[in-house]
Amino acid sequence: MMLTIGFLVNPIAGMGGAVGLKGTDGLISEAIRRGAEPEAGKRALAALRPLRGLPLRFLSCSGGMGEDILRSAGFTGFDVVYQAPDVTSADDTRSACMLFESRGADLILFCGGDGTARDVYDTVLDRVPVLGIPAGVKMYSAVFALTPEAAAEIVHHLVSTPPLLREAEIVDVDEEAYRHGELRTRLHGYVRSPCQPGLMQDTKQVWEDQDEEKAKEGIGKFLAEVIRGTPEFLYLLGPGSTTRAIARELGVDKTLLGFDAVKEGTLIASDLNEEGMLGILSGETPCRLVISIIGAQGSVLGRGTRQVSPTVLRMIGTENVIVVATPHKLSETPLLFFDTGDRELDAAFGKSVSVISGYHIAQRKRIGRISSGN
Amino acid sequence: MKTKIFLDEEEMPKRWYNILADLPSPMDPPLNPQTKKPVGPDDLAVIFPMELIRQEMSPDRFIDIPEEVRDVLRLWRPSPLYRARRLEQALKTPAKIYYKWEGVSPAGSHKPNTSVPQAYYNMKEGVERIATETGAGQWGSALAFATMLYDIECTIYMVRASYTQKPYRKSMMQVWGAECIPSPSTKTNAGRAMLEKDPDTPGSLGVAISEAVEDAATHKNTHYSLGSVLNHVCLHQTIMGLECREQLASVESYPDVVIGCVGGGSNFAGISFPFAGDKLTGKHPEVEILGVEPASCPTLTKGLYAYDFGDEAGLTPIMKMYTLGHDFIPPSIHAGGLRYHGDSPIVSKLVHDGVMRAVSYHQTEVFDAAQTFARSEGIIVAPETSHAVKAAIDEALKCRKTGEAKTILFNASGHGNFDMSAYDAYYAGKLVDYEYPDALIREALSRLPKVP
Repeated sequence: MMLTIGFLVNPIAGMGGAVGLKGTDGLISEAIRRGAEPEAGKRALAALRPLRGLPLRFLSCSGGMGEDILRSAGFTGFDVVYQAPDVTSADDTRSACMLFESRGADLILFCGGDGTARDVYDTVLDRVPVLGIPAGVKMYSAVFALTPEAAAEIVHHLVSTPPLLREAEIVDVDEEAYRHGELRTRLHGYVRSPCQPGLMQDTKQVWEDQDEEKAKEGIGKFLAEVIRGTPEFLYLLGPGSTTRAIARELGVDKTLLGFDAVKEGTLIASDLNEEGMLGILSGETPCRLVISIIGAQGSVLGRGTRQVSPTVLRMIGTENVIVVATPHKLSETPLLFFDTGDRELDAAFGKSVSVISGYHIAQRKRIGRISSGN
Repeated sequence: MKTKIFLDEEEMPKRWYNILADLPSPMDPPLNPQTKKPVGPDDLAVIFPMELIRQEMSPDRFIDIPEEVRDVLRLWRPSPLYRARRLEQALKTPAKIYYKWEGVSPAGSHKPNTSVPQAYYNMKEGVERIATETGAGQWGSALAFATMLYDIECTIYMVRASYTQKPYRKSMMQVWGAECIPSPSTKTNAGRAMLEKDPDTPGSLGVAISEAVEDAATHKNTHYSLGSVLNHVCLHQTIMGLECREQLASVESYPDVVIGCVGGGSNFAGISFPFAGDKLTGKHPEVEILGVEPASCPTLTKGLYAYDFGDEAGLTPIMKMYTLGHDFIPPSIHAGGLRYHGDSPIVSKLVHDGVMRAVSYHQTEVFDAAQTFARSEGIIVAPETSHAVKAAIDEALKCRKTGEAKTILFNASGHGNFDMSAYDAYYAGKLVDYEYPDALIREALSRLPKVP
């Protein structure tokens, strides 16, 4: 099957990291001054070389944003659909993606970091499947293959078998805070990304991994039953599509990226910030927090969920936190992390946690320790 | 000091032990799924030979093993009892650990202890074909072996997850002349209904039982055969515990703790019922009996003691037992033989009455234990058996703390030679520690399992 790939490289991705800048956004001049050299092209080349000979049609950008790398990898006959300037920016990524989509790309293969992933997402949302070749300083989004070679292997599979797609989170990282040693992330959105469970997992796990949507439905159905069966509790449903599946079962219109409150199966409040949560928790009603794993790093609380401050969490009680995740997500995250910003609270979760992974099924997962916190 | 304790072939038990005779209170009767009235022999005659039905309900303490059956059992019985001295040394425990090694049977597990008499009684009644289910393939291969001996056709519905994971079990069944079909299949109404509900289902023992029962009930020349759960199956397996008691007596010993893994309960029943009988009759009131199950399918530890169907489609008699609900599909752990929503009614009653107790473990920790066992005793056990190994090791480690020199007996019910993909997954760090979130399930609106 001929596959049309929109291919782009963020030429400056990763340059900041090499010279200790923890990110490149807004700092390209400083990175170059410190002697940084473009790295992304080399990584993109490593992903492209194994693809020679496959029935692929590339749409790309001029120069270092795609064309040069394709030629170095031995490809000819591709379409340069976007003329990139000498110095590229986020706008160029977005413009190229817009053209890829309009020219019928089956997949956008980009090389960059979280910033590039965010720009791709902002343009195509979940309309075109996206796969990242890792080259940035920070790669907390779940859209990246483990290595450039792994990206190539996934494309190989896409050519020979029908694509198996899953949702992958795009997360925002506050680069300024990151440079000061604090990882502050926020869920930005979801793209669709190809995955190959058979590539890395044994046959047993393939059963559960084949259908993310079915797993979410199972989780949604189970937790909806629990919520209906415990009218005495107020439930805070955290961000993400897994928790949204619970709301769907309840017939509630939940925000994708926010914390929403549900009581007796009815939506009480949407998109709560810390203050909003404290307001709701100040009553007598006992509360439970239902939360999923954010990003590709196994983070349960902390990354992307700063609304749940230590004060909020103390009022809820760590025993009232219910963690949910699909089997596929869990297979990618050997350790889970609670990073509430308060070590005592983190420790209260113990050494392992039971994660609801389907209808009437959970998985026991080990909890890792993060050194940050007060 | 002996490492292996043998009995002569002539010392092999001549009678099975029927614990029903020693129960302090009667069992709640199985009920007909249609009438909800107690099942009578006639209800079962469609799918079982009359002698097995008699055994199922017999009040006799001992039941003779036919000489023709003993003759076949002599191929591997009496099986050896090992003193696990190297394991004791590895654990630095004062405990004395013994294990009954059932991996010496042709099928590699304890299952032929009942498949042979079941096939024999069917042959005596002129049955031409038997349908059955199998979880991990241990039972299927054992029945394939037994039906071959008596020239009976055999069709085996193998739980799909195991069919994929353990292709060589299927090969064994073929060698012995049986037909092996992945379940759910399109051959039965029960299978088709399940596939319609979920085309990607890994299957379950509950569904496979429905298929085999339906097959037997809809073919005149066909009977059904079950590898666990039922009273007569537990009865046949008592040959293991009876041999153990003799073997231990020959070295002037008696166990403080008896351990077996539990799926449907027959392996556990087989090793423990003779000792449970000693406990019930006051001969050894102190003996502790421990069933070990997976945390992903914790029937005895987290299930409800209630009447429920033995299968997914509700075709079998309704039995009083510990259950997670007959519609519960356990996750695809490697110990496929322990993926059963219910349990033997006798084992359930004994646990409920406090004669036995149960524990559950996660998948990874039982493989840790199996590795410890393989690296000390040499034998690579089946994933099911590794649950018993884990509990035995934990008991021995408790002894290390307390300084007690307890005698621990466990049933090494089968070898893991066809389970190396499970060990591969273990070494690749890919085992998933599934568990049953019982607290939340009890809160859910569906609340407790749907029992009739």
